[in-house]
Amino acid sequence: MAAVNEERMQATERLQRDLAALTATVEHPNGTCMVTASPKGEIKALHLHPALLKQGARAVGEVVTETVRLATNAAVQLSFNKMALALGDGMAIDVESIAGDSPFRSTWNPVTPPEAPAEQAPQERRTRAPRVEDPDEDAFFDNPSWLR
Amino acid sequence: MDDDVERAARKVRDVEQAVSEHVTRGGPVTGRASSPDGAVTVVATPGGPPQSVEVSAAALRMGPHGLAAEIMRIADRAQRNANTRLHQTLERVVDPRELTAMGIERGTDDDESGWRR
Repeated sequence: MAAVNEERMQATERLQRDLAALTATVEHPNGTCMVTASPKGEIKALHLHPALLKQGARAVGEVVTETVRLATNAAVQLSFNKMALALGDGMAIDVESIAGDSPFRSTWNPVTPPEAPAEQAPQERRTRAPRVEDPDEDAFFDNPSWLR
Repeated sequence: MDDDVERAARKVRDVEQAVSEHVTRGGPVTGRASSPDGAVTVVATPGGPPQSVEVSAAALRMGPHGLAAEIMRIADRAQRNANTRLHQTLERVVDPRELTAMGIERGTDDDESGWRR
């Protein structure tokens, strides 16, 4: 029993160390900014693509804000995953019941760029009825296409 | 085990309610920091990602590496301000030692008048 408790305590300490050092790195869907963040929203690394600066000051602010948010969400989700691995899904669900849903469950997290839209299928070609050169009544009724 | 979880959940709910009432009275807590020349301004939330990052047109001349470093520096200050402010706000309803253990540390007020509600 004592050995089991000791093992649990060691596992908990290991988990705490792992969670304290945990970060996630996310690239903005437009590819101009990459952020490494902790689950507490601390920015551990930030890379800006020169192309982003060319889009203007406002775009830089918005893209950085968005990317830090995505990286923080990813780091929080990783924490939940690590906790579930170490303590079991049951305990992770208990923690969610206290602390709130994990980002994966509570938000749609567009970490990956959206897929390119599928190529449009070419329009169905419909065979046209042969044009009647002489539109007199007899020719019209001779053309069976209007019956379709 | 279920009883322990239920007790913990109840305690969290109670503290949450006390904190919620307290914050509702005072408004959301954020921290704010700016570069001395106004190149970068960050409004941060305690224990979360920045609420906004603003960059001046002149800051773009710093280049991608210089600007990234400046944003990180200012974001760090803004978040420390936010944590300090939250600590000051909550220490009236939660044990300050527990706040520090949760990572909401009370920093030194060495920064500008940077934080605000």
